[in-house]
Amino acid sequence: MNNSLSELKSILQTRFNNSADLSIRYISLRSDQKITAAVITIEGMVDKEELAQVAVNGLLAYDFKSSNANEAFNIMLYSVLASSDVTSFSGFADFSGIEQLIGYITSGFAVFAIDGVERMIAVGAQGYAFRSVSEPESEVVQRGAREGFSEPLRVNMSLIRRRIKDPDLVFEQVTAGEKSKTQIMLCYLQSAVSQKLLDKLRKRLDNCDLETVLASGYLTEYLEDPHTSRLFSGVGISERPDTVCGKLTEGRIAVIVDGTPAVIIVPRLFVEEFQGVDDYSNRTYYASFIRVLKYLSFFISIYLPALYTALAQFHPEYFPTWILIKTANSLSRTPLPVTLEALAVTFVYEIMKEAGLRIPKSLGHAVSIVGALVIGESAVSAGIISSSTLMVAATAAICSYVTSPLYPPVTVLRFGFIAVGGILGLWGIVLATALVLISLCSKTSLGVPYLSSISPFSLRAMRDVFVRSSWRSLSKHTIKVQNFAETEEK
Amino acid sequence: MRSEVRFSSKRLLLTLMLCACSVILLQNYSVPAELSFTLKLCSLLLGLAVCFICFLPAVLLKKRSGGDLLSLVSRRSMLEQRAVGVFYAVYFLYASLYFLTPYCDMFCKKYYPDASPCLVAFLLLACCVYAAFKGANAITRFGIFLFVLAMLTNILMFGGSVSSLRFDSGAWAIEGGADAFARGVNYFATPCFIAAIFVCLAGEARLFKLRHPLIAVALTGLKFALVLFFITFAVGEYAQRQEYQTFVLSRVAHFGSFAGVESFYMALCTMSVFMIISLLLCCLCKSFNKSGSLPFTASFAVAAFVLHFIAASNNSVKEILTDPLLLNIFSICASVVVPLLYYFRSSFERSRHA
Repeated sequence: MNNSLSELKSILQTRFNNSADLSIRYISLRSDQKITAAVITIEGMVDKEELAQVAVNGLLAYDFKSSNANEAFNIMLYSVLASSDVTSFSGFADFSGIEQLIGYITSGFAVFAIDGVERMIAVGAQGYAFRSVSEPESEVVQRGAREGFSEPLRVNMSLIRRRIKDPDLVFEQVTAGEKSKTQIMLCYLQSAVSQKLLDKLRKRLDNCDLETVLASGYLTEYLEDPHTSRLFSGVGISERPDTVCGKLTEGRIAVIVDGTPAVIIVPRLFVEEFQGVDDYSNRTYYASFIRVLKYLSFFISIYLPALYTALAQFHPEYFPTWILIKTANSLSRTPLPVTLEALAVTFVYEIMKEAGLRIPKSLGHAVSIVGALVIGESAVSAGIISSSTLMVAATAAICSYVTSPLYPPVTVLRFGFIAVGGILGLWGIVLATALVLISLCSKTSLGVPYLSSISPFSLRAMRDVFVRSSWRSLSKHTIKVQNFAETEEK
Repeated sequence: MRSEVRFSSKRLLLTLMLCACSVILLQNYSVPAELSFTLKLCSLLLGLAVCFICFLPAVLLKKRSGGDLLSLVSRRSMLEQRAVGVFYAVYFLYASLYFLTPYCDMFCKKYYPDASPCLVAFLLLACCVYAAFKGANAITRFGIFLFVLAMLTNILMFGGSVSSLRFDSGAWAIEGGADAFARGVNYFATPCFIAAIFVCLAGEARLFKLRHPLIAVALTGLKFALVLFFITFAVGEYAQRQEYQTFVLSRVAHFGSFAGVESFYMALCTMSVFMIISLLLCCLCKSFNKSGSLPFTASFAVAAFVLHFIAASNNSVKEILTDPLLLNIFSICASVVVPLLYYFRSSFERSRHA
């Protein structure tokens, strides 16, 4: 590489296709030798004011006397830019090479170069706007920290490091995305993690051939085990640093993607979908009660409409007499068969839910009124749908929010089970359950069986599955996730 | 590098125990009515002793080589591999039909009189193909869920029948002819098909101990004995005149005004037969070294469906397919004769090399 600044400028302009946000500012240093330096940044990525006050003004004020270019660079590196004000920036390094230069400036560093000197200095003066640390809306807790991950990678790393002040905690940097060059941090506890799982994860990230990685969701498909069911996710997502830290102690690996507050946690097990941060803050008996409630809600949200349609259509004798009379009375006034009715009500509910998520808040009330009064009450009074079907569909819909991470598979399964129950009755539901169970039983997450602790069964792990044991009991033996891995390579 | 998943032998034997228990769920005039309860228990003991003996050759092979019969055969000539493969394929196909035929029959007679047995068989086989494609490991994991369902159903079925218990002192007498006793032993020995499955899957099970098959057979015996006890003393004469007596037991079970245990029985029966056929299809693919091949599994499921279709319209074929004696002879060949043949052959070859 040519060491002249003009050559460097032309290379950078070519590489950035004359992009308007590439900024190269020349400054003349106070020296007898007429030394020219340049500050290379990307507009909007650095805090210009702080950079000018702390670094550039200091550089301009310094008298380099009769130093030549190389001596001036060393003075800059060890004296001027090494002052306490500058080192308060998030990063400081000397380097050489155009690729490294591009890497630094696209990450928000300011790079100082001197005409005729190959080496350069990068100063981490990131000054782009980002959202402050706030409570994540999707994981609200009653007791516990109100902090959630933010978009910048370093902020997220610090949130974890603040909670685990142990050198055992490792952050390992990798890059993904051919064009976006997104920084990704693998975070794990060296003493807890399984090297086999870690190697598997590194390999999968290496095989990620995406051009851009703009959110952690882009990577989840690459981290899922191949040839396993995709209905339930084998990759966990959390926006809470306390949740991530808890998972790390169990031997899991967190994948922090720059620019997104959603941190990936692998391996993910089915039972984790029912565990929440509040479970560990509440009293044991109440946490266990909530856990049981969650499991029941999960089953109700999938099976209730399907059982209702199957029983109403094929086995009305199983209804108690008073319910049978009321249901038959209600169903006899509606034009659609009960299966179509249940499917229609569930479908309309999903449409309303999607609309509610996307419309402006000011219109939310209007949609609620339309949904509750027009579609609900009017449809029942007009005899288009039966009140019992509406009640069953509403109960199932409410229950599906109790385990919100499982909402997508639960919704799809609910539709499937209603259809099967309506066509084949209870037998169809049993057969469909067998299929779903086989699919879940064959699913793995980084080689760890997805249904671990239930199947394969682990009595010790049961302390934190259907009920939550006391902390005295839980702290005795921390169960590492790799203990569940059964795969033996031959 | 080939990645092979091995699972605990306890889980495999639990799954096999559940498979064996489904024999009693589908019994249809199979236990000779002329035998007294005591003699039924004696024939049960003898039948299950035969079943345990069937496990021994596979245990010997497992202890010696750490693998199963099929891995031993895979070292032989191609012709020999094919011959053994064909034998086991025919056996597993026969065993699948032995359970599929009575299940569809029971289902259409007792539960859904309007349903077509062929449609039921088709849907069930389609699901079994998917499960067999997922492999024995997934099926054994599924077995844990089935175990929970079996426990729940048994508690409801037996608990709900306690109030109907009427002890007849004559039932304890030793009555019944030798022929009926032999038929009883023959019927109670049918769970030995699980030993044939073990012959094929033993290589995938780790941490094996001899007590595992012993416990599995003992628990099967306990389940059989409980069903016999409740059929004899809770349902009594009425059950003897009905088809599918275990279904009748589930129908009469009740807790006050709460009844309808037969839906649990139906769920247990469906899942058990689903698991047995999936496991048998899995073994069938393994016997041809084609584990995890969807087209191969599907082709055998189609063959099973065609045979079931023929049996549905031809009673003599149906009788052959549901004959416990034929299944037992076949099972003993598959679990005792062939494995012992290979065991002695490898011992002989080893001694000759030494």
